[in-house]
Amino acid sequence: MRLPRFEYIEPINFEGALDLLYIHKDNAKVLAGGTDLLVRMKKGLLKPKIIISLKALKELSYIKKDDSYIKIGARTSIADIIASDLIKKEACALFEACEKIGAVTIQHYRGTIGGNILQDNRCIHYNQSAFHRSGRQPCHKDGGKICYARDASDRCNSTCQSDGATALMALGANITLVRKGTERIIDLDNFYTTDGIMPFAMESNELLKEIVIPIQGGKSSYKRLAYRSAIDYPIVSAGVFLKSSDTSKNEIEDARIVVGAIARAPIFLAKASSFLKGKKFNDISAFKKAADISMDNASTFAVHNVGSTLEYRCAMVSEMVFQALKEAAIVTQE
Amino acid sequence: MEKILITLNINDKPCEVMVYPNDTLLEVLRDELDLTGSKESCGEGVCGSCTIHMDDKPVRSCLTLAMEATGTKIKTVEGLAKGDELSSLQQSFVDHGAVQCGFCTPGMLMSADALLKINSKPDEKTVRKAIAGNICRCTGYTKIVKAVAHAGNSQDHCPDCITFSKAKE
Repeated sequence: MRLPRFEYIEPINFEGALDLLYIHKDNAKVLAGGTDLLVRMKKGLLKPKIIISLKALKELSYIKKDDSYIKIGARTSIADIIASDLIKKEACALFEACEKIGAVTIQHYRGTIGGNILQDNRCIHYNQSAFHRSGRQPCHKDGGKICYARDASDRCNSTCQSDGATALMALGANITLVRKGTERIIDLDNFYTTDGIMPFAMESNELLKEIVIPIQGGKSSYKRLAYRSAIDYPIVSAGVFLKSSDTSKNEIEDARIVVGAIARAPIFLAKASSFLKGKKFNDISAFKKAADISMDNASTFAVHNVGSTLEYRCAMVSEMVFQALKEAAIVTQE
Repeated sequence: MEKILITLNINDKPCEVMVYPNDTLLEVLRDELDLTGSKESCGEGVCGSCTIHMDDKPVRSCLTLAMEATGTKIKTVEGLAKGDELSSLQQSFVDHGAVQCGFCTPGMLMSADALLKINSKPDEKTVRKAIAGNICRCTGYTKIVKAVAHAGNSQDHCPDCITFSKAKE
């Protein structure tokens, strides 16, 4: 498959990249690892005039501890995150999610964490070849007015299948977006817009600089379900975070349950999360109940557009959340 | 759109080549440099048959722009053998009958070679994980896994290893 034509620019520093984005805005796309962008370009879903490569921006690849935060540069490769002991210890959900991205030994060296959380939403009807799409009316995401995933839907229902996003949202991460002259910090809950066509609250002249994970002393876990164990997107995923209270180690003080690959954005399930507060770590029935609440709440957003049947995916939300909670609880008690 | 002159370090040889910005490394290797060992099959990073090494790490050449590969050390499947002598991994593939139609083989070899560089005696699970990104549609995985695990590490209980080591003697 040939790539469409574009102009390739390789800025030598971060400011240079921001200047280019400031000038070209919508005409330009940022290339980090290319494992998502180039595939979409090959399929004719994107035709940027200019590609801004981050190849020379080594300063955006780092993992460091800063007081009670872990800071990860946007261009850090997935392989570096898996190899980091700090991530494994303090943000286990992210480690587990990164291990599942793409294929262990191949895409990890090129794929980046920034690229993973900024990967576009997917839909079985949209992510097809130009030839396939030419045989029918364009859908909402393709610039048309039809949704093939849900009849008579007035909006795009594409699904966010990023592994990293679900895990990071469970960990309560923030991201830093930079544009020429200014910088802003936004938490992931607000960053994902739940709009299928433009899934991120991000301007075209902005660049993702770093991901900041607060170290809260709790334990996290990530579970996902996919057809294959490698090179596949999840059809359901769950990231959870559990923190014990200071007074009693066996009591859950704070919980965050996030379900991914089911809706237009990873969804934080407030009701299920608050249900767990005050419960005991060895209370399996409470986990089961929280998982069932998660399933009920998440099912309302589910759309049949990433393979497998909708009923199966919804049923598996409960299972994924339960497994993730159980694992996080076991790790906490060790 | 104009062609741009870039220098690539391929199999320890510098190559000057004119490329378009939208050429992938795979297209340059196959069409411009006649290194047709790396194969294009899915073209979207799923099958692994275009795997090459960049700085000793396996990557997909179909999802790498040729322009992005400048300044790195590239190794293709042609660079594994030393002259006419196959590397121990390639010989092991031959000995164990790990090549069926052969289309996935270059990618498998590159993924396995990267693994063997960091772990010379991998167990079956490690090998399977290492080649998880490569698809063999003949589904001859068992023999491929065996060939990788026994490369340069011949096993007494393996009939293929024994037969061929005896034949050499």
